[in-house]
Amino acid sequence: MKIAGAVVAAFLLIAPWLLPKFVPEFWVSILAEIMIWGLLASSANLLLGYTGLLSFGQSLYFGFGAYGVAFGITRFGLGVLPSFFLAVAIATLAAAIAGFFAVRLTWHYFAIITVVFSLIFYLVAVGWKSLTGGDDGLSFALPPIAKLGNLELTLLDPTFQYFFILAVVGACYLLQWLVLRSPLGVAFTAVRENATRAGLVGLNPYLIRLTSFVIAGFLAGVAGALFALFSRYASAQYMYWTVSGEAVIWTIVGGAGTLFGPAIGAALLILVREELSGYWEHYLILVGILVLLVVSFAPKGIVGSLQARRAARQ
Amino acid sequence: MSPPILSVRGLTKKFGGLTAVNNIDFDLPAGELHAIIGPNGAGKTTFFNVVSGFLRPSGGRVSFNGEDITGWATHRISRLGMARTLQIKSVFNGLSVYDNVWIAAHARNRFLHPLRPARAYADTAAVVERSLEAVGLAGRSHELAGNLAHGDVALLEIAIAIAMRPRLLLLDEPVAGMSPEETERTVLKIKELSASINILLIEHDVEAVFKIAERITVMTQGAVLCQGTAQSIAADARVQEAYLGVPVVAGSAHA
Repeated sequence: MKIAGAVVAAFLLIAPWLLPKFVPEFWVSILAEIMIWGLLASSANLLLGYTGLLSFGQSLYFGFGAYGVAFGITRFGLGVLPSFFLAVAIATLAAAIAGFFAVRLTWHYFAIITVVFSLIFYLVAVGWKSLTGGDDGLSFALPPIAKLGNLELTLLDPTFQYFFILAVVGACYLLQWLVLRSPLGVAFTAVRENATRAGLVGLNPYLIRLTSFVIAGFLAGVAGALFALFSRYASAQYMYWTVSGEAVIWTIVGGAGTLFGPAIGAALLILVREELSGYWEHYLILVGILVLLVVSFAPKGIVGSLQARRAARQ
Repeated sequence: MSPPILSVRGLTKKFGGLTAVNNIDFDLPAGELHAIIGPNGAGKTTFFNVVSGFLRPSGGRVSFNGEDITGWATHRISRLGMARTLQIKSVFNGLSVYDNVWIAAHARNRFLHPLRPARAYADTAAVVERSLEAVGLAGRSHELAGNLAHGDVALLEIAIAIAMRPRLLLLDEPVAGMSPEETERTVLKIKELSASINILLIEHDVEAVFKIAERITVMTQGAVLCQGTAQSIAADARVQEAYLGVPVVAGSAHA
């Protein structure tokens, strides 16, 4: 497992130079996009895999992150980084407010309320065309991040953009890794396993779920902000609940409750989409079959099953 | 005599038209191993559920360690030093035996650090080791709790309770469903524990109760029938009637 992780890390660090030797250059962009969607999946995973909450609403905070960047740049005339921080702050705050109500509920009630919140804001965003651009979205031009003499740091440079995304996503995984091995992380899993018992040992399940929900909203917000910077565009369609549903599917296929499983699930299914959707418009049938196979024969997902096999051998 | 660790006044719990617990007064003096027995449906578990905050009482007050805890949420009552096990054994199945006890030992720290490694807390680790040793699960800390045998789950639940370093431990049928050997082992553990923790337990296994409890309360139909030492309870005609359901003939009761 450690070797596989080192290989992937090394690949990600040299991909902008390595990939164009074998495939067209736009694959570097696809890789960057996969990292962003993988981060959205890990937001759903923090809730489902570690805290035991099935959310179909993470796209809402992704959308807040994306629109935060778009508004920051177009309406407030902010730079790239201030817009980015503003966007993440707005998404996190939105998660705190929604979570205040949502985490009073669990299981299907919780899943439904997350969809409802997400639908409300989706409908507002679609309807309020003058502000959000509705389904057409809001396009913007990217200002440079910084100027150092003659050197201009800008996300318009594909290599710089790739490493910017890699660094931000990497930092988010470092954060998750730290949280999951901390007392708070153990408390997440305790609430997932048995909220009644968690209350009996003196944990407050409501506060712990809320904390998880806010961190998950933060991760989704970062993903949405990155996506807006990446595509120079924010749109209501990314707030729709099916985007959240995809994040849940990537999580389940890759392995809920594993740190990198959701990103691997996202990578796999996005590659399937990239490769097949051009030839075969019904490629989702294959995705459906793949999900059915994983849920039936490897319910722990790809990474979860590999870990279980390794644990059994020891 | 020291003030009671647990004091209940006029406690009542109604479910619709059914009165499960009916106007109970109960005091548990500190330093006692006390058992509540009674036939099925006597309201024993409901009594526990109201005392530990699972259910809100319909009437009456509960005070614990001098504090009025009526209507408090379970986690607040737990933090005040009341631990309990459940009739249907309840642990964190997907976590290791170690983590089951670790979170219980650590939960009294109100602030859960989000970035420091859990393994860095030496004081919590020491409590976990001690608690696992106390129930004899020290060698099995890496096993998943969900893979343990029934008797070991019950012991793990007790280890979780000990790790909380409670002032009062409520045990709900600690030996239910256990083999005779497991029962014997668990009864011994409970007796050992009672040297340092106040214990109140509910049990169906009357034989086990008579072995461990210093004092016994008998409940029937949601109310306290009588209270006393094991000997006096065993000899009480009303208790026999409650259990056997036949009125004992006056002559034979006084024989």
